[in-house]
Amino acid sequence: MNGNSKAGPAIALAGVNLSLGEGAARVHILKDIALNIGRGEAIGMVGPSGSGKSTLLMVMAGLERADSGSVRVTGENLGALDEDALARFRGRHIGIVFQSFHLIPTMTALENVAVPLELAGVADAQQRAAQELSAVGLAERMQHYPTQLSGGEQQRVAIARALAPDPAILVADEPTGNLDEATGTQIIDLLFAGHQRRATTLILVTHDPALAARCERVVRLRSGRIDGEGPA
Amino acid sequence: MSAVSLAPGGGAGRWLAARFALREMRGGLRGFYIFIACIALGVTAIAGVGSLAGSLTDGLARESRVILGGDLSLGLIHREADPAQIGYLASRGTLSTTASLRAMARAADGNAALVELKAVDAAYPLIGAVRLQPDMTLAAAIAERDGVYGAAADPTLLARLDLKPGDGVTIGNASVEIRAEITGEPDRLSIGIGFGPRLMVSEAALRASGLIQPGSLVRWQYRLALPEHQADDRRLSDLRADVTRRFPDAGWEIRTRTNASPMLERNVERFTQFLTIVGLTALLVGGVGVGNAVKSHLDRRRETIATMKALGATGTRVVAIYLTQVIVLAAIGGAIGLVCGAIIPFAVTGLFGAMIPLPIEPALQPGQLILSFIYGLLTALTFALWPLGRAHDVPVGALFRDAVAPQPAWPRRGYIGAVIACAAMLGVLSVVLSYDKRVALVYVGAAAATFLLLRLVAAGLMAIARHAPRARSTVLRMAVANIHRPAALTPTIVLSLGLGIALLVTVIEIDGNLRRQFTAALPEKAPSFYFLDIPSDDAGRFEGFLRGLAPAAKLEEVPLLRGRIVAAGGTQAENLKPSQDAAWVLQSDRGLTYSDVVPVGSRVVEGQWWGPDYEGPPLVSFEQKIAQGLGLKVGDPVTVNVLGRNINATIANLRKLDWESLGINFVLVFPPNTFRGAPHTHMATLTYPDGGSAAQESAVIRAVARDFPTVTTVRVKDALDAIGGLIGNLVLGIRAASAVTLLAAGLVLGGALAAGHQHRVYDAVILKTLGATRRRLLTAYLIEYLLLGVATAVFGVLSGSLAAWLITSQLMNLGFQWAAIPAIAATCGAVALTVVLGLLGTFSALGQKPAPVLRNL
Repeated sequence: MNGNSKAGPAIALAGVNLSLGEGAARVHILKDIALNIGRGEAIGMVGPSGSGKSTLLMVMAGLERADSGSVRVTGENLGALDEDALARFRGRHIGIVFQSFHLIPTMTALENVAVPLELAGVADAQQRAAQELSAVGLAERMQHYPTQLSGGEQQRVAIARALAPDPAILVADEPTGNLDEATGTQIIDLLFAGHQRRATTLILVTHDPALAARCERVVRLRSGRIDGEGPA
Repeated sequence: MSAVSLAPGGGAGRWLAARFALREMRGGLRGFYIFIACIALGVTAIAGVGSLAGSLTDGLARESRVILGGDLSLGLIHREADPAQIGYLASRGTLSTTASLRAMARAADGNAALVELKAVDAAYPLIGAVRLQPDMTLAAAIAERDGVYGAAADPTLLARLDLKPGDGVTIGNASVEIRAEITGEPDRLSIGIGFGPRLMVSEAALRASGLIQPGSLVRWQYRLALPEHQADDRRLSDLRADVTRRFPDAGWEIRTRTNASPMLERNVERFTQFLTIVGLTALLVGGVGVGNAVKSHLDRRRETIATMKALGATGTRVVAIYLTQVIVLAAIGGAIGLVCGAIIPFAVTGLFGAMIPLPIEPALQPGQLILSFIYGLLTALTFALWPLGRAHDVPVGALFRDAVAPQPAWPRRGYIGAVIACAAMLGVLSVVLSYDKRVALVYVGAAAATFLLLRLVAAGLMAIARHAPRARSTVLRMAVANIHRPAALTPTIVLSLGLGIALLVTVIEIDGNLRRQFTAALPEKAPSFYFLDIPSDDAGRFEGFLRGLAPAAKLEEVPLLRGRIVAAGGTQAENLKPSQDAAWVLQSDRGLTYSDVVPVGSRVVEGQWWGPDYEGPPLVSFEQKIAQGLGLKVGDPVTVNVLGRNINATIANLRKLDWESLGINFVLVFPPNTFRGAPHTHMATLTYPDGGSAAQESAVIRAVARDFPTVTTVRVKDALDAIGGLIGNLVLGIRAASAVTLLAAGLVLGGALAAGHQHRVYDAVILKTLGATRRRLLTAYLIEYLLLGVATAVFGVLSGSLAAWLITSQLMNLGFQWAAIPAIAATCGAVALTVVLGLLGTFSALGQKPAPVLRNL
């Protein structure tokens, strides 16, 4: 079972605004965003640099708080949660894949994947992490440290880590941005395989129209606003 | 596959922070060496001082019977115990009687030297043995043989008078033959500092010498060894109470084996406290290094922390992980410190045992070791909790390329509270466990103020740099910008260098003032000689003799008695709570005098001086500061035991004295009628207007020894040399302990500069890419370090001098004179070291090729 059992969309945003920076450097990044994403849906988010894609992703993942508006994820109003509750919520319901992988350099691949499970108090964290790593084809590399892995392998570890807690929502921020084309394709295949197998809601931020086209729906952002959306 | 459990915890959850922390540390302790070294150094200092002091206290306790010379010791000044008292004491155990006094030993060639004469009976020593060279019994050495008394002497006396065993010396009116050198005297420690070498004779020889005159300064000591079945602590305490009850007016100083050497124990405690404070300073300076190490570790782990939070770790859990690491590291540093500190007493006795005249009993001191470990842990927590608290709020947004979320500079209130709580615990612990709580409180306050001041100095420097007019020179502009830019090294350098220089200057100034006080030039008006034990009847003749001998010199002569304050202000002396400055007056017999005029060198500041022919009830004039320290005022009653008689006097006036003149000063002065008819002696001082030459002084010593054999001549320079030697040892201890602190400061400074290395490489590469030459960069760094170093040095010199002035004038009650040259020289050295260290660190940064660094930015 994926995430929250309540009915309704996986993510519901209404009137979301967000500014960042201080004083004169303050920039209004997200402007009046309204967006519903259904459960199990795959969304591609595209737009030029600085359009607010990553920031919107952070808001949906509970990593950034909106200044105004409503952010509901799996029915939970994220605005009502404090920092620690948000952290716990993320740990259980949201898997994140970063462009720069962000593996913990002092931990092996296996330990990296086990981290969210251990944080959530899963008893057999190591076994489940091992299963996830096998699922992304890294059964032989479990005891390797991030620096001993190639970029593609590191991103596969990151995907295994994101999927390990079986999250309701999987967000990926330019997951192939630091990879060559062939490796990027493998990574995307893995992401979509995970999404389909587990019926996870997938939100993919990308510059690549072809990649976005693999999603069921594409949302275009421009200058912090939704500039259009529709089927890929 | 099911969703993860919603209930974290269980056994695995509890140990999660520890597991994650240890996982991170698997790669080794790189980056933490300075952290560990800082804690280890401080803990070593505190554990070492505590262990050594503990071992010494154990040794004193174990040797207490030997040091005291029995189970119970009763001391009388001027007079012997009466037959009833002796009879009572002899009925309670084995009794031994000794008499000690200062006297002059005159060799056949006319040379004379001050000796600490000790006359002993056949029972002496009750415990232990006197070791002699050549090997013989004490009885044999001091026995009368063919009408000549024997003696044993300290080797120093033989060297001083160019004598060898078999030669004779004259003591008073008796000739004695020195038959052996004393190589070990069991009860030597209970006496304190001696101004001359020991000469031991029989009681009969002393009586034959004629030195025992009414009022002469003889200390009679009665030692009692109890039968084994009656020697437990309770019976000993009962016996002491019984002695006091039976002979309430005896006026003797009673010591039991449980306080065999109270003065020495007090000094050990006082010095231990001082060294512990120096050790604590080392720990506090090291704390800065701990804070820096934790901050740079967490800076390096920012991405990891953000990642963990993205994966569901709460801020509290993140802090728990890194707090665990801090505790583990502090424990490693503390353990190293414990081992090093625990070894110190063993090492000291092993290496210097033969040179130290103290019974150090090297042993593990678990209490001291645990305490120093706690100090280490608390210091680490105090300095680490701030950066740890900030890690709580590392934004996850840091992981996204266009995130610009800033991190707050202050941690949450809970962490600030924890920092304050740990610092308070450190403060409370160091005050509660200290010997002198007032000194400890001053130290804690001064330490807190210094930290605060140094932070303010750093903030001020950064503010000045920020608002300084834009320099036209690019190099200067870069240097100034480096001082105030975010993540600048300014606060750390100011803190470590400032503390280092302040401590260095404090130690140098105290050191210099102590040496000046006791070993350098004497005050111009200081006398060259003190003459003691001038018989009352001979006082006039002696005065005339000296005037003939040194017509140009100033002669002062006063009657001298010894007395003990037994009650003051209606309270028994043992129940009085004197201030630190005044306590010494109650600790033993004090010299006192009588006069019908205000003594030279003092003036009445309160009350009235009695008239020249005062015949009323006993009055007394009290030194003002001591009276205040004892809580006394004009009109209060004071009871003083003189020659076994309690004199109940009323304070008539208070006087101010110039102690440093080394003139004849007395805390207590009575009207002449108080002691009319009482046996006493006189003392005199002789002061040459030009300070006197060695030849003049030598002539006086020889002449007085020849014509007045019972008068004791104390050459002030010799007495000050004896104290100077002791001060030299104290200063050595202070220097050794301070070196630990300076080492810690150096470590912190080095660590801070190393931590800034990454920024330097980045700056250097970017600036080189933009066209800056290496020479230009080096100049910029040089100016930056010089500006920082000089500004910090000014603060360090000022605060160090202030601390030295406070300690010298307020705690030690000595005059303070600022020595500019050594302070400035040391400061220049410290600044130069900082600049060199800084430049060494940046030199490799300058050599970096831009391309590889830029690719990895």
